[in-house]
Amino acid sequence: MARPGIAFRQWRAKRPFWGGLLLTLGGGEVLLTEKASLKVVLHVGMQGLAGYLLPTVMLLCGLLILFNPAQRLFYSIIGVLLSLGTWLTSNLGGFLIGLLLGVTGSCLTFGWLPDQEPRRGLLRRRRERSADAEPTDAESTTPPVASAESATS
Amino acid sequence: MASSSDALASTGSTPEPPEGGTTAPVAPERRGRVRLRRTAIMAVPATAVAATLAIMTAQGALGVQFAISGMPFTVTATNLDGTGFEQFGNLDNMAEDSPNAGDTGGQVLVVTSAIKNATLTKLCQSVDLGGTNLLITAGNGSTPVTAKDLTTDSTELSGDASFNNIEIGNDASTLNKANARGNKGVFSQQADTVHIGNLRQTNYATTAGVFKLPGLKLRFSSSGC
Repeated sequence: MARPGIAFRQWRAKRPFWGGLLLTLGGGEVLLTEKASLKVVLHVGMQGLAGYLLPTVMLLCGLLILFNPAQRLFYSIIGVLLSLGTWLTSNLGGFLIGLLLGVTGSCLTFGWLPDQEPRRGLLRRRRERSADAEPTDAESTTPPVASAESATS
Repeated sequence: MASSSDALASTGSTPEPPEGGTTAPVAPERRGRVRLRRTAIMAVPATAVAATLAIMTAQGALGVQFAISGMPFTVTATNLDGTGFEQFGNLDNMAEDSPNAGDTGGQVLVVTSAIKNATLTKLCQSVDLGGTNLLITAGNGSTPVTAKDLTTDSTELSGDASFNNIEIGNDASTLNKANARGNKGVFSQQADTVHIGNLRQTNYATTAGVFKLPGLKLRFSSSGC
């Protein structure tokens, strides 16, 4: 394994990486579907501007989750509200895709906690590897049970 | 935070067997992780709100805004009735380095139509995504689609039109029937009311149109409108 890979893994382990990434992508996707000329948007006023404003703030929240994870709860709550708001302001939430990405990302961020025990399956495999000398039947025969949470992490 | 108890409760079953070496064999790396229950605290209400929004939109109780362009999309409707109608020529600029620009230099000559208040029956809007079409239909039932400040930039427009109190040949910058102005010196026309039957538009942009879409259906389809 290359060293930058390890560094990236460690960086990723300290923040809600997938949550922030999905929220950022969601905001970006909604923005991409919005290309109405700014002249018209400004003419219509606040209501037209909101179509741009919401996805932009979504994108910023996603980036802030990645680079300032300490405030992740606040960002994720703002993120989920804005994601839902884009349904009204911005092409049905970027035709649903951006809205789903944004809501999923915000929820993953909200549910993220730092400094957790390793997954049970992972823990068991480690133990097996270290305790190779005295293999216990009960553990080596049963496959590591993937907990429900391991799928989302 | 205090949800390590959560973790045990959700994964359930036995705690780790204390034997098998000393304590932790290889000092397991501790890293952040998504906890299912915490996620559900936000995911459940968010899903409920999203569903409510979709249902209210489908019933026509909520208006939604569209602002898309760069990709041509087709709008059809069996009937369009509007008050406050304007139409003028315009030049749309795509975003810089847009992949849809092709050999046009990123500029599209369009006809901008603005309608202050419009009602449309059997609205159908499709965007060609290459191979598949994103299809939005609404207003098939008894309640038609209504739109406010509907501004469309079209490259093609066809239908059977009739106008009331039409003024043809105005300067596009002097229009006053709807909320759009063109550039100075551009040909334009405006009318108090407009009716278009069997409307078919190829649009590059619908801007700041607040739509109320009763009977909304959003789906992917192999054929467009």
